[in-house]
Amino acid sequence: MKLTDSGESRIRGYLYVFERSLRHFLSPAVSADAVREVESHIRDAVAQAGDVPDEHAALEQILNRLGPPMRVAQAYSLELVMDEAAVTGRLTSVLRSLFHAAMTGMIAFFTAFGLFVGYAMGIAFIIVAIMKPIIPNNTGWWTTPDGVFVSSGVNFPGAREGLVFHTTYWIIPVALLVGMLLLLVTHALARRWIIWFRNRRTWRPAFEAGPAA
Amino acid sequence: MLENWLEQLRRGTLELAVFLSVADGPRYGLEIIRHLEEFTDLVLTEGTIYPLLSRLARDGFLTSEWVAGEAPHPRKYYRLTPAGRGRLNNMCREFQVFTSKIERLMKAAGRHL
Repeated sequence: MKLTDSGESRIRGYLYVFERSLRHFLSPAVSADAVREVESHIRDAVAQAGDVPDEHAALEQILNRLGPPMRVAQAYSLELVMDEAAVTGRLTSVLRSLFHAAMTGMIAFFTAFGLFVGYAMGIAFIIVAIMKPIIPNNTGWWTTPDGVFVSSGVNFPGAREGLVFHTTYWIIPVALLVGMLLLLVTHALARRWIIWFRNRRTWRPAFEAGPAA
Repeated sequence: MLENWLEQLRRGTLELAVFLSVADGPRYGLEIIRHLEEFTDLVLTEGTIYPLLSRLARDGFLTSEWVAGEAPHPRKYYRLTPAGRGRLNNMCREFQVFTSKIERLMKAAGRHL
């Protein structure tokens, strides 16, 4: 099948969306190689199609069989980012993997959500430690008059009705320690979960056929 | 429900099927897909074979090489590495043991089905 300009545009459009989808997750070199391989696939499939009366229909069939570009990109990203996260444990890769994994199912979503909450709490504790020297009268922890812990952090105004406000500077090392511990434990759990998830080989996108974009 | 079960089966065997497709020599992406389609119904969305090939190459089970000149566009060929061949042999052996056990179980149950 010899493509017309319209057919060429359709292929370029598909590859453009595919490349744009990959670019968020992969390095330019890896992304370019993936695009080149998918383009090679399309060109081969077009050549194998031979002479057809309806170029548009034949091309759409080829692209439908290939899958929507964003879905194919997602499968690439999931594999590559998870590999990187599992091997290097790099924070950005782990967070990206969690984001990807969260979209694959309900259990994965809630697990990833829980891990994101762990990261957020760790960061919040560290922010409290940083804010204490800057706004000492608004950073501390609150207890009931009986000494029961209510909450800690940064609050405006610092004093809260019916609660005792503790402004000691001990909160700095405590918040730092708790924050760092939370981040380390959450990160270790996230990495373990990603390795487990990766080994499960979640190939959901591979078996969801759908129309190409 | 049966579809979910079939999907799990496909997931579990796709890697073995890809290894088998390149066992007798290097093949490029679409060639692997067509080979799989000839013998199985494992590939429903062709584009997602490429991330799998990419991962197997990164894991050291396949090598890949761009070849230009045999078609108007370059093709990326995949071939098994020694580690890949070892993994393929192990997978084949384990798969045969597994299927023979399930067959025995089915025969035993067949009297009552």
